Amino acid sequence: MTDLPQLFDLRLKARALAYLFTAGAALAALTLILPHDSEFRELQIGIVVGCALAIGVLLYWSADRITSDWQVHAALAAGTTLICFANYYTGTANLFALLYTWAGLYAFYFFATGPALVHLVYIAAGYAVVLSIREAPSPAIRWLLGVGTPLVAGLLISNMLDRLRSGQAELRGSEARTRLVLDSAPDAFVTLDAEGVIRGWNRAAERIFGWGANEAIGQPMKTLLTPPEHRDRHDDRRRGLVEDSDSAAPVQYEVELQRRDGSRFPAEATVSKVDVRGEVLLPGFIRDVTDRKRRQDEREALLREQAARAEAERVAEMVSGMQLLVDAALAHRTLDDILFDLVARVRAVLDADAAAIYLAADRALSLAAASGGAAEERTSEAVPIGEGFVGRVAAGREPLLVQDPAPADLPYPALEALGIDSLIGLPLLAEGEVTGVLVVGAAAPRHFTADDVNLLRLAADRVALAVDHARVYEREHRIAETLQRSLLPERLPQLPGLSIAARYLPAAAEAEVGGDWYDVLPTPSGGVGLVMGDVAGKGLAAASMVGRLRSALRAYALEGHPPARVVEQLNRLIWTEADESQMATLIYLVVDPGAAELHWVNAGHPPPLLLSESRLPQFLEGGGSVPLGVLPFPDFQEVSMGIDQGATVVLYTDGLVERPGEHIDTGLDRLAEVVRGASTDPQEICDLVLDQMVPEAGAPDDVALLTLRTIPMADRFSVELPTEPEALASMRALLRRWLRHVEGSEEEITEVLTACGEAATNAIEHAGAGTPFEISGQVDGRRVEISVRDFGAWRSPREGDHGRGLSLMRSLMDTVDVVPGPEGTTVRMQRTLLDPKVNGDRQ
Amino acid sequence: MDLVQLEIEERGEVVIARVKGELDLAGAPATGEAIGEAVPTSARGLVVDFSGLEFIDSSGIAMLFNLARRLGSRRQELRVVAVDGKPVARVLEIVEFDRAAPVHQTLEEALGSVDGA
Repeated sequence: MTDLPQLFDLRLKARALAYLFTAGAALAALTLILPHDSEFRELQIGIVVGCALAIGVLLYWSADRITSDWQVHAALAAGTTLICFANYYTGTANLFALLYTWAGLYAFYFFATGPALVHLVYIAAGYAVVLSIREAPSPAIRWLLGVGTPLVAGLLISNMLDRLRSGQAELRGSEARTRLVLDSAPDAFVTLDAEGVIRGWNRAAERIFGWGANEAIGQPMKTLLTPPEHRDRHDDRRRGLVEDSDSAAPVQYEVELQRRDGSRFPAEATVSKVDVRGEVLLPGFIRDVTDRKRRQDEREALLREQAARAEAERVAEMVSGMQLLVDAALAHRTLDDILFDLVARVRAVLDADAAAIYLAADRALSLAAASGGAAEERTSEAVPIGEGFVGRVAAGREPLLVQDPAPADLPYPALEALGIDSLIGLPLLAEGEVTGVLVVGAAAPRHFTADDVNLLRLAADRVALAVDHARVYEREHRIAETLQRSLLPERLPQLPGLSIAARYLPAAAEAEVGGDWYDVLPTPSGGVGLVMGDVAGKGLAAASMVGRLRSALRAYALEGHPPARVVEQLNRLIWTEADESQMATLIYLVVDPGAAELHWVNAGHPPPLLLSESRLPQFLEGGGSVPLGVLPFPDFQEVSMGIDQGATVVLYTDGLVERPGEHIDTGLDRLAEVVRGASTDPQEICDLVLDQMVPEAGAPDDVALLTLRTIPMADRFSVELPTEPEALASMRALLRRWLRHVEGSEEEITEVLTACGEAATNAIEHAGAGTPFEISGQVDGRRVEISVRDFGAWRSPREGDHGRGLSLMRSLMDTVDVVPGPEGTTVRMQRTLLDPKVNGDRQ
Repeated sequence: MDLVQLEIEERGEVVIARVKGELDLAGAPATGEAIGEAVPTSARGLVVDFSGLEFIDSSGIAMLFNLARRLGSRRQELRVVAVDGKPVARVLEIVEFDRAAPVHQTLEEALGSVDGA
């Protein structure tokens, strides 16, 4: 309570004093109204009232401009003086005792004890003077004493006392304010002296530590607040602060302190050094940071946990990503596809900005695939092993991590555009050989570390494995594909009276080449053999088995073996030579256009489809037997069937009709339905069948398709044949069909065939090898005209062997004209056939 | 199924060559060679049986004439069997093969004529 008045501000003091003046003036004015005796001086009282009122108003209005306590003291002293005057002039002191009391109370209330006592002395002295001078001998002395004495004495005493106390009072006032502020602070404020003894202790310190100010002050902080194990450090810090003459800025420490009950808490101490009149003091705030520390710990734990989880997820993702790397390689696709997939995945798995794979070949490395950056900017120049970043990685066979690589060190230009400034290169090793280099680049802010290199090592192992698999697979695939292509006929033979089309559609998934194959070969008897086969299995083994079957079949067929015998030979080949798992389905179908017959043997293959104008599509179910390679001596049955003119036969492999989860009959029905609506042109049939039967995404398995149509004979024909003796049978087959078409008798047919054979034999013997000869025919009524034209020099038939040819022609035909020309020779022959009705009668 | 098939049979001192199928430039030279080699010098004769032959052209005829010349130089007999009305007989008739060697209707007749010679 003692110091509180010091804390009232000057404005409040001035206003309170202004009320006192006003109240005094009002009381003095009241004496004017009340009945008074003769000693009462009305004029003087009026002046006092006016003065008091004026001072009160002045004080009130200028309260904001009061700058020191002195002005308030002066005003209060002036007030006391006015009270004394008023008392004197009224001649009675009764009423003004109240005002004297108010002035005293005011002094006590608003001022420190010292100044208040001075005012009290002044009030008492003034009142005493008023009493004494009323008895003074003269008015002059009364005035002098009444006005001067209290004024001068009061001012002198008050001035003297206040000057004595001013410094101390100011300091105590400021200390009190500071104390108030500090006591209201939430943090402990503890002041130590240079020896570490507590000199200051606020309320928060009491609350926090449990020690009262009276208990703490005077104790060394070291023993009171610092746990034993930290005391040395506390001393070091304190000494450091005290001895460091420069330090004025506050210093902050994280410390552990203990409470009265021995419990400890983490604290943050902010200590500064002050020099108070030569005495070093260390005031400091101490804050209990238990909560903050806990929150911080929790946050750190949370961050650690998040980081750990992110790392775990990253590793899991990488592991699954790596699994995908291997999966990518195991899916049978092209090497390019796999490499592209791999770099994209590596880049994603490692959160890198660029990834590339270089493959080694001939002591050099070439960029095979890259992800990130513009593709067109990549260079395709091969890097020799040992040169450049990539070459060094391959030569060193160890991972290389480069930060801020020089632009020249970047493997390809696109990386510079990406701002790659962290680069890892890893050798891809397969069975100890460097097969390539994996390059991964990152742009700021990502920077690779040694940890990334270790993670990448795992990825590189898998990439190397994947690349190796893909390369081996690709090589095998290429060989098998080449082999298979070489096994399919490059060009189908052009045979008179027959139209043939074939298609081969590899499986969409770019899987291994299958064992599907087909072949078309002319038979010695003038027919054509159609082969459609499917060797079980895929890849190189299947393709090479196709090759052997094809060669063997051609050899046996050209020797003139009947179909069942040919297929038996093939079965023996696959049974004796191939390993146990080898198996093949095959259909061998011979079309004899002359006799208008089909002969076939079917070893476990889907049935051919026959179309003719007079009947619905029909599957040739007969002649079925086990596939090749199943039994040592199966019974292959040849089946024959007559066909119409213009009939079409369709052969195919199961890839066309088999669909997962579907009965094969569904596929066969669909094929029959598609073919039924097709035109008669084999090319168009093939196109339509593939279009309608193969899913848009591509065939799941290889598809081979072979279509043959016997062209119905017209009244005119013209074909070119090779100048080989073997062509003669084909020519006779064609002519036989045509002559039947024009309704010649069998005898007539044979004779015309013989004549034409002679002309053709001449053409074959005399024309240059490699140039074809042409045979054409036309019918006019019953007269047929056949021309055989060659492109060589005609030689006059010698007498003897070949001279008989010409005489045969002349004997068998009505007219024979040999017309030599600059480019070759034409033999034109005519014969008038008998009326078919007559022929019929004769037969 | 081969265009031309050849069967050789020795019956006593006579060699029988059965030719079936179609005989043209593609098969005639080889067939003639095979038949010629099948006839030993000790044989009395050769019967070429064309009863199963469906077609013959001048190459086949030339083969026959060559055989006739070769056997004649060794004083061996040649007989040909060709059934009347069939294309082969017609061709043999046109080229007047019977001037080089007798043409018979049946194998037995031909064999008998060799024995009787």
